Amino acid sequence: MLLARHLRLLVGRPALRSHFHTTVPAWASRKVVQKFKLADIGEGITECEVIKWSVKPQGSIQAFDPLCEVQSDKASVEITSPFDGIVKELLVQEGEVAKVGEGLCLIEVDEDTAENSADLASAEPPKEQEAESYEEPVGVRRQHPLDPNYTPDAASTASSNVLATPSVRYFSRQMGVDLGKLAPGSGKGGRIEKKDVEAYLARGTVGGEARVEDGKDVVVELGRTRYGMWKAMVKSLEIPHFGYSTTLDLTAVHALIPSLNTHIPPHLLPPSSQPAGPPVNPSALYPAPTPEPVPSPSQYTRLTYLPILLKTLSKAMHQWPLFRSSITPSPSASVDSSQSKAKPTLTIRPHADISIALSTPTGLYTPTLQHVDRSSIYALSSQLKHLAHLGRQIPCALTPNEMPKRGGTLTVSNIGAIGAGEFASPVLVPGGGVAIVAIGRAKWVWDVDSGDGKGQRRLKVGVSWSADHRVVEGAELAAFVECWRAYVEAPERLIAEGV
Amino acid sequence: MLSIRPSSYIYSSRRYLSTPSTHTISPNHSIYLSRSTNPYFNLTFEDWLFRHSPTEKPLLLIYRDEPCVVIGRNQNPWKEINFLALRRAGNPFIRRRSGGGTVYHDLGNTNFSIHLPRTSFDRHATAQIVLRAVRSLGIDAHINERNDICIGKDKMSTIFLPLMACCFYVSGSAYKIVNNRAYHHGTMLISTRLDALGDLLRSNKESMITKGVASVRSPVCNLQQFSPTISHEAFSDAVVRAFQEEYNIDQEPYIAQEDEGATSIEYIREGMAELPSWDWAYGQTPEFTYGIKKSFGWGDMTVEIKSKHGIILSCSFSHDGAGSSSVDREILELSKALEGKRYGFVDNAAIDARAARGRDGDIWEWLKTAMES
Repeated sequence: MLLARHLRLLVGRPALRSHFHTTVPAWASRKVVQKFKLADIGEGITECEVIKWSVKPQGSIQAFDPLCEVQSDKASVEITSPFDGIVKELLVQEGEVAKVGEGLCLIEVDEDTAENSADLASAEPPKEQEAESYEEPVGVRRQHPLDPNYTPDAASTASSNVLATPSVRYFSRQMGVDLGKLAPGSGKGGRIEKKDVEAYLARGTVGGEARVEDGKDVVVELGRTRYGMWKAMVKSLEIPHFGYSTTLDLTAVHALIPSLNTHIPPHLLPPSSQPAGPPVNPSALYPAPTPEPVPSPSQYTRLTYLPILLKTLSKAMHQWPLFRSSITPSPSASVDSSQSKAKPTLTIRPHADISIALSTPTGLYTPTLQHVDRSSIYALSSQLKHLAHLGRQIPCALTPNEMPKRGGTLTVSNIGAIGAGEFASPVLVPGGGVAIVAIGRAKWVWDVDSGDGKGQRRLKVGVSWSADHRVVEGAELAAFVECWRAYVEAPERLIAEGV
Repeated sequence: MLSIRPSSYIYSSRRYLSTPSTHTISPNHSIYLSRSTNPYFNLTFEDWLFRHSPTEKPLLLIYRDEPCVVIGRNQNPWKEINFLALRRAGNPFIRRRSGGGTVYHDLGNTNFSIHLPRTSFDRHATAQIVLRAVRSLGIDAHINERNDICIGKDKMSTIFLPLMACCFYVSGSAYKIVNNRAYHHGTMLISTRLDALGDLLRSNKESMITKGVASVRSPVCNLQQFSPTISHEAFSDAVVRAFQEEYNIDQEPYIAQEDEGATSIEYIREGMAELPSWDWAYGQTPEFTYGIKKSFGWGDMTVEIKSKHGIILSCSFSHDGAGSSSVDREILELSKALEGKRYGFVDNAAIDARAARGRDGDIWEWLKTAMES
């Protein structure tokens, strides 16, 4: 898989839109009630029973004070408060089960936490600060490990051993002060207070120390998803990769898109874009079949190239059983799986399952689109939008439903959405199928070979394949790609074949 | 054969560290071997290390306990333990701080505890360390999906135990996770009295319905059944070695004793006092109901006791007897008297003397025995 931080699933015209979450602007003297959600504790735990609350409603609590204890199968987990504030309401009682991502309790927090978030909204220019905005989607608190908005990668400067409330951390970051230098502070339990930071600053200019990061090495731990990527990539070293790249001509597909856009089925359109009904009612005699409208995150108004590329890929996969196959996993998941003596086999599926590389604020995932050959291009576009929406949630809302153990037989990585890349060398991981393709960014070029030798302006996109050479031959991959090209460059075939 | 050795001796080519007992013990070592067999000390020591050791350093603790039953943080002792058998054996039971199910400890069982930073904690990886240690002793064990270590799928085991249908477990695990640290601790059955284990953990209360975590009962066996030379020392050594290899540690193990150096620490003293207290041992029990029936000469009586945090919330009687109003009145008084009392700790003096006589005397005797079993 390619390293890609930001959530991008739209191919074609990926204007770098900033995903900027702003909070309700806070007035200077108001208190805000924050919902503290049960964060992803790791270990694949999806729900826990609340055993004991250490606080009662209307009790005050400080950041890092014990909040509650939860239990999941064999693990007992202690959760501390991420905020200073007053506990307003316990949303899950002792003995009840809370799901990851559900609210545990409501805490009323001090005004300056909310104020800081409003400041951040105006201070940072949108475009290049996109990275920053993902680090603190709601307000600017961070560092509490079980804070639902916590991203371990973001905690690079302030070491987790330093105790400080979120507002102090924000202040120190604004001032460019490394909290590690100030520990221990003058507050409770060695906590660093705002006055410690101010005192340091007053000394700092005299001492001539650099204000901004002072160039020391910092050691950062890998978060769970990134470490998962590490482990998967180490396993991928077992796979002998070979690459193959070419460009596909998207001009014909591009020409189709406006027409396809005007005919997006109503149940996939957002309510605001619903077309006016026909003047004569088709359902007068008998109700015409109307599919259920999909939830709003899955609605869209424009098609992109990706669903069309996926559909044509599934057509090619239909003709090529090799690319609908996966290596049969060995039965025992024991330590020495590499020593299993039986000859490897390939399991061929009747339908095309394609995994999509999804880069989200919480990390890199590969959800799978099942049975792509059975879905229409419109339906695929809706599914992609839905996956993107789930991936964007923090904690990640992708479930084993979207990421089944059995994965797809091919993986698609739409790297062109991130930058103007043309070609890449994607990496296959075990469980990712027999091949992976990275799709670059489409661009208009002058093609001297087309237009009867006079040359023509054509829309081309680079596609780079990596395949598992234990099961796929180079010539097979090349021929398969040509089969795919024959669909992409003549999409009208889909009409005759009955999409 | 183990003889008591001063900790500064060299043992099997390994040097150990220890401090003179006048200095307080430090939480900064990487590997600890506890020579104490006091379960209250060992569990508290483990908790102290968990809260006070450097958050980024992996840590290993190995210990053994005198015979006792250890239940999980959120379990119901009455459901898990056969108290009649426990009292007969004269062993205590202790509620530990991590989750999971009930286990039996004795000197033939070695406990290991691996502490890691929360973000790099992985159940499977820590289970692998112990598995590697067991395998290095020549035993063909493997890990199941719940990360328990078991033996028993290949031919070798069927020779020893031809009646084995499936996996036998040699180890059980539990976990605890806090802000920035997590641990995996577990048991390893080396030469445990399996008959005692069976007796004490045999549940005799099917009609007790409890919230909280239920134990998953599994067939167990000892490592010594597969390799008679295995001992606590050999296993400890193997785990220490596997741990050192996994985390690239070349520190020697540190010997911990239950001495001044440890008990002078307030956290440890207070923890050791908290574990046997009623509030912790019984007062942490989640809600449960217990429904029992008995046939008396005058009719059948059914009782349903509801309890939470070890206190009786309500006790409702019903019977199909010939309707003597005095019985009805007495059971009404009995149920009122029981409300608010500690389940299993109600003595005769707490119940109105009148209720202990007459027909009620039978009923109360029966209830009392049921609560204490």
